[in-house]
Amino acid sequence: MTRIASIWLPQLAIEHWAKTSDCAPEVPVVLTVEGTHGLLIHAVTPSAAERGARPGARLTDARALDPSLIAVPADVEGDAALVKRLARWAGRWSPLVEVDGDGLRLDVTGVAHLFGGEAGLVRDIRKRFAALGLTARVAIAPTAAAAWALSHFGGEELAPLHVSALRLDPDTVRTLERLGLKTIGALMDVPRLALARRFRGADSVVDALDRLSGRKPEPLTAAPADPPPRALIKLEEPATHPEAATQALERLVPMLVRELERRHLGARRLSLTGYRVDGSVAAAAVATAIPSREPRHLLRLLADKATALNPEFGFDAFALTAEWAEQLGAAQDSLVEEPSGERELARLVDRLTVKLGPGRVRRPQPHESHLPERASEWISAISSSPRFRGKVAREARRRGPSTSFAGPPPLQMQGRMRPQRLLDRPEAIDVIYATPEGMPRRFVWRRAVHDIARVEGPERIAPEWWRSPSSARLRDYYRVEDAEGRRYWIYREGLIGDGRGGLPNWFIHGLFG
Amino acid sequence: MPEKSAFSRVKLVRREGMPPPPTTPSSYVELGVASPFSFLRGASDANELVLTALGQGYDAIGIADRNTLSGVVRMHSACTAAGLRPLIGCRLDLQDAPSLLAYPCHREGYGRLSRLLSLGKMRADKGECELTLGDVAEHAEGIAFIAWPEENLDAFEAGLARLRTALPSLGHVAASWLYRGDDAARIERLDRIAKKQGCTILATNDVHYHAPDRRPLQDVVTCIREKVTIEAAGYLLNPNAERHLKAPEVMVHLFARWPHAISATRKFADSLHFSLDELRYEYPKETVPEGRTPQQYLEHLTWKGAAERWPDGVPDKVLKQLNYELPLIERLDFARYFLTVHDIVKFARELDPPILCQGRGSAANSAVCYCLGITAVDPATSDLLFERFISEERREPPDIDVDFEHERREEVIQHIYKKYGRDRAGIAATIIHYRPRSAIREVGKVMGLSEDVCGALASTIWGSMDPELEEERAKEAGLDLSDPHLKRTIRLAEQLIGMPRHLSQHVGGFILTERPLTETVPIGNGAMDDRTFIEWDKDDIEELGILKIDVLALGMLTCIRKCFDLIAEHHGERWELATVPQEVPEVYDMLCQGDSLGVFQVESRAQMNMLPRLRPRCFYDLVIEVAIVRPGPIQGDMVHPYLKRRSGKEPVTFPCPDPEHGPPDELERILGRTLGVPIFQEQAMKIALDAARFSSEEANQLRKAMATFRSRGNIESLQDKMVGRMVERGYDPDFAQRCFDQIKGFGEYGFPESHAASFAHLVYVSSWLRWKYPAAFACGLLNSQPMGFYAPAQIVRDAREHNVSVREVDVNCSDWDCTLEQGALRLGLRQIDGLQREAADRLVARRPYRSVEELRTRGGVPVHAIQRLAAADAFRSMGLDRRAALWDSRALKQAPDLPLFMYSEERDEGSEDQPATLPAMPLSEHVVNDYQTVRLSLKAHPMAFLREHYAGRKFVTADRLKTIRDGRRLSIAGLVLIRQRPGSAKGVVFITIEDETGVANLVIWPDVFGKQRKIVMGARLMAVHGIVQHDEDSDVIHVIAQRLEDHSHMLRHLSDETMPSTLSQSDAAGSWRAPAQRHPRDVEIIPKSRDFH
Repeated sequence: MTRIASIWLPQLAIEHWAKTSDCAPEVPVVLTVEGTHGLLIHAVTPSAAERGARPGARLTDARALDPSLIAVPADVEGDAALVKRLARWAGRWSPLVEVDGDGLRLDVTGVAHLFGGEAGLVRDIRKRFAALGLTARVAIAPTAAAAWALSHFGGEELAPLHVSALRLDPDTVRTLERLGLKTIGALMDVPRLALARRFRGADSVVDALDRLSGRKPEPLTAAPADPPPRALIKLEEPATHPEAATQALERLVPMLVRELERRHLGARRLSLTGYRVDGSVAAAAVATAIPSREPRHLLRLLADKATALNPEFGFDAFALTAEWAEQLGAAQDSLVEEPSGERELARLVDRLTVKLGPGRVRRPQPHESHLPERASEWISAISSSPRFRGKVAREARRRGPSTSFAGPPPLQMQGRMRPQRLLDRPEAIDVIYATPEGMPRRFVWRRAVHDIARVEGPERIAPEWWRSPSSARLRDYYRVEDAEGRRYWIYREGLIGDGRGGLPNWFIHGLFG
Repeated sequence: MPEKSAFSRVKLVRREGMPPPPTTPSSYVELGVASPFSFLRGASDANELVLTALGQGYDAIGIADRNTLSGVVRMHSACTAAGLRPLIGCRLDLQDAPSLLAYPCHREGYGRLSRLLSLGKMRADKGECELTLGDVAEHAEGIAFIAWPEENLDAFEAGLARLRTALPSLGHVAASWLYRGDDAARIERLDRIAKKQGCTILATNDVHYHAPDRRPLQDVVTCIREKVTIEAAGYLLNPNAERHLKAPEVMVHLFARWPHAISATRKFADSLHFSLDELRYEYPKETVPEGRTPQQYLEHLTWKGAAERWPDGVPDKVLKQLNYELPLIERLDFARYFLTVHDIVKFARELDPPILCQGRGSAANSAVCYCLGITAVDPATSDLLFERFISEERREPPDIDVDFEHERREEVIQHIYKKYGRDRAGIAATIIHYRPRSAIREVGKVMGLSEDVCGALASTIWGSMDPELEEERAKEAGLDLSDPHLKRTIRLAEQLIGMPRHLSQHVGGFILTERPLTETVPIGNGAMDDRTFIEWDKDDIEELGILKIDVLALGMLTCIRKCFDLIAEHHGERWELATVPQEVPEVYDMLCQGDSLGVFQVESRAQMNMLPRLRPRCFYDLVIEVAIVRPGPIQGDMVHPYLKRRSGKEPVTFPCPDPEHGPPDELERILGRTLGVPIFQEQAMKIALDAARFSSEEANQLRKAMATFRSRGNIESLQDKMVGRMVERGYDPDFAQRCFDQIKGFGEYGFPESHAASFAHLVYVSSWLRWKYPAAFACGLLNSQPMGFYAPAQIVRDAREHNVSVREVDVNCSDWDCTLEQGALRLGLRQIDGLQREAADRLVARRPYRSVEELRTRGGVPVHAIQRLAAADAFRSMGLDRRAALWDSRALKQAPDLPLFMYSEERDEGSEDQPATLPAMPLSEHVVNDYQTVRLSLKAHPMAFLREHYAGRKFVTADRLKTIRDGRRLSIAGLVLIRQRPGSAKGVVFITIEDETGVANLVIWPDVFGKQRKIVMGARLMAVHGIVQHDEDSDVIHVIAQRLEDHSHMLRHLSDETMPSTLSQSDAAGSWRAPAQRHPRDVEIIPKSRDFH
């Protein structure tokens, strides 16, 4: 006889959130989703529930009851992804697992005895979900529909359950209520024909009843497993020599590359796992800057790490998994094997990162700011999602011809000469200039006197008022050329009488090539 | 950081300490000025720009907003006040060529510029303007242009050549020194480019704000415009704060190498000879027949109307007044205005069926308007309005607003467009300003605050006027106001408040002209189809002396017209607004009891409480009633003194000045009618004029300050002035302060006496209808929904309490609208939620029906509509209750409505041999379902089913409240109908609950509210333990709540289904909606029904 277990995670969203945030449990948090008329409450913490917040209510209404509620956007996709992961994990109880809304259903036919009977199975499921911090409600019944009804509505019997346990759409449920057919039992007493005539198509009550009783089969289909690309070798004898991992790697990489090729993927993160005879594992991971499935490159990245794996009592299996892979079509740079710029650089970055550590290899990233020292920043070279601060502004630009007064805003600051070399820290210099705002004539930097032959400017850059204290002073930058033809970028900080300090100071900030 | 917000519609006036108007022309004139009407670009308003210019020694200043002239009137008036010469122009951003500044040289050039902008706006969506160089070339005559270089000078060089070809008169290229580093090289290059094309460069500072400290605000509006945060805005922002108005000598210094660029500005400015003062307003001519002057025709119509109004001869009093008003109209030349209004009103009256309308406004309550049929307030019976007429010395334009039935106003609007043409009729604009909430939200977003924090800031900090409360609420919401980032955000938001955000159309202010309107002001498309509106708002129009007519919509007029029609049909009497019998004592008796549900204006709970205290006995009492229960008088604490004086508990005295300062009856003349208490807006103004000796200019300023929603900044100086001067003249400081407080309150909520009188007339008419024809009145109200204060359930309940028998919706008896059946009220199909009008019309057309099936086969009513009808229990006339009808209706098959299918009735499932037996539906469930489908139930009140439970616990019913002595404790329970937390009540919450016997009014003091907020705001069925309080002057009974309980769960005993909310539309907390779908989670918590049915 078929037995289906239905697992319902009634508190999934809030428990998932609670796990990932470090919020105190007594804080009244509600998770919200966008509704057509403003934010709707998706899930609530117990303390928020005490204050009157209920899922489905509008945030503004709940706030009217208690203004101290803290609203956090719900991560609906993250929750769905979690359920998917849980479905794979639930393979421990049954090979046939299906995601079912905010829950799972498992075909547990003939499985229960392994867990000491159905009661034991239910206990085991509850316990293991509880260990993950998730409340699970479990019921086992001969059909999926019945198991669902019992897990969601409780009890042992189907007949006294409310008709909404049939998973009909709300309008149908309301009509049934209005007709006085409020429980499954009441519905069963009505002649099938009468029901069939009145509830057709998608809201067919008869179909729902048949699914419940098993008259209409509803077989489970296993979730299409989409495991990460993986290559596995098992050794006949446990290998204890240190080269075992390297040797295994040499066989694993081509296997994995074939798998990646087949699926048109390129690896971004790889892990090599050695399974020891005593059941423990040793693992090493590397990441790449761009998706890759080039055997030589991957091998080189992993080789050092592989040597470091300690066999202890011996490995009896190795697995190489592309934990994170991205789409990568078939590509050929050139007819002859020639190094290509971008890929070579990426490979270099990968190798340096493997050797030096991910935090130590960085690359500059343009940042839209008028302040020269903020116009670029450093980010991790293999950072997966390049944090691009100017993105939003660029978006605005892309929306169409900008309506700015000064024409479309420049992507780079056109016509604004920036020195090739910017000093890490502007250095104070002495300048002779015509006060208050005249051109500089001569400056002294590192004890050398420079007579200024040509000068252009000033370019006035005001402090970023939203970041700096109000005492920050503006800068007037000048491009100057001294008598020897060397060019410098100097600036005067402040104006006389700007009320933000005494006399202005001069600095040198860059050198032109 | 900059000071608090500056934007406000305050007319600039010369004050002491202001620099004198310039006597010598300045060497430089700024022409590239953007005001906030270059929306989200300019960050300083006209007054700030003009005052700065004045201080810097400018004698003239230009204004060039982007593709618009909407800011020019403000600039004009500010300049005129300061003694500067405004140069009116605009900036044209073209689709296919570099931008241009366009300054008309004379009136004709202005007309063309206005036409050009209209052209661009009419072909684009609302708020946009699409123009090409070709369009500009066609309208170029009489306009001086300045080419505006773009960032890329190579492109500009080519563009300038094209500009020159298209616009041979173009002679200038703008050049700016903006501290960009390469300014000198850039200006040199521009100079060369310009010379090559035979032009000269012209200096401008591309002014975006009046002073450098406005840069943060300008950056913020840039971010709002580009929808980015300040952190991410990057190069969208300007690198420095140089785009402010710079003094002429600074500009001369910056352009020392290019003196011709400076002198060009002077020459350019001197070549412009246009002023907005030249726009002469001309009334449309078609209102006057050939061969008569407007005045002659107006007098003819007036006397003709008078003869019709008083067939037995015009009363002396009216005669006298007409003989005063008509010459005055002639002197001020307003005859055409009256004729224009008359024409529109006549059109509405002569339609078949006619549209009901009534005028209001300062000029509306004149005898002339009564004779012309514009108003229905009889000047013979009310002697109040003599001096309310147009004031001659102030030369204020007359103001007549006409209210029309809200369902049919569009016909009037389209008539105006048709009659005068779209080029001669336009709706005034309304300038949408940033309000505190929108300002904090948008600034918060820019500053990177989360949606949530912005919301919290908006709702807690800005919700009230009380700063202490604000701080407390901020704490409650977990906001740290000392955080510098938050502080900065709030300061910027404060600055943003009042800044124009976009133009929208006024609700109904029309301007009509004889010449094409487009030559006076640009016209653009509205958001609604078939609407066009001009670029100026009503203040601008007034500033220029252009007259407007407000064509407004009023729901009560729709209701009254429907009542008149019903009465004519069922009682054979034809009434009109002006013919309703006046001063019927029974009508006042009814009002004195606070029995006014559904009556215009006086139906709110506050008004209902006031009626028994005020005890209106004549029309003028109603005028006061309408005006007094408004936040203005309440805030000014005018209500209690008035009541005390009226009931004789306090002598009527008039504060008076010291004898040496003025006559002792100075105020008696102003306040005599209202027993010495200022109640109306005009009285407050008159006090300012007479008692505080305001000049008419100052009074005008006060009036404007009152009219702006946010007048904190300016009103303080006015306060000092008014209170100070009154005290100086010997008035009691207390009284002076109260007068001023009241003026402050009037800002948003005041009522002028003339408006109050017009409204009072509708109050009287609707009260009379309610008293004489309660069934027709309820029917009219229901058929005009949504309007007013109450939900259909309360209207029906009230009608039944007045012995109107109400019959339920039925497929065989109900029309779409509610109808009268032998004196009984039959609810209409419109009451059924979600029923389509079309389906209802089909249903009505083929009546009667004998079975559910017939509705589809013979009536052709769609199945889903039949199911809705069944759910609403509308099949009783065939002997089917809800459940049976629903069961039958479910069996219908939705077949295409074609003859071929109409008779293919054979069931594909075979025939039903054994009928199903459904359990009978308990009454309580019927009631809940009635509420769900028609929002009311005639079968029973939900509380009736719970009465046994409550009676056992010694709860009283609402009808017994009057038998309980003052101060006694009691418990009462009922459905929550209305929750209100008026701003003027200092945190007190008023709740109306209803049980099967009536309603009870709860008062919840702030301490109880604080402790039981959740229940107060959330409960749908509320149990209250409290104290009865009888008002000594009236029969009003309150229950002062001490402890509240949320008994909403009790509603589950009626039915497993959710009882819908009974809150009316006006519930201040927002409608409490039951979730559409009950989540399975909730099911478990429903207690099993036990002892109640």
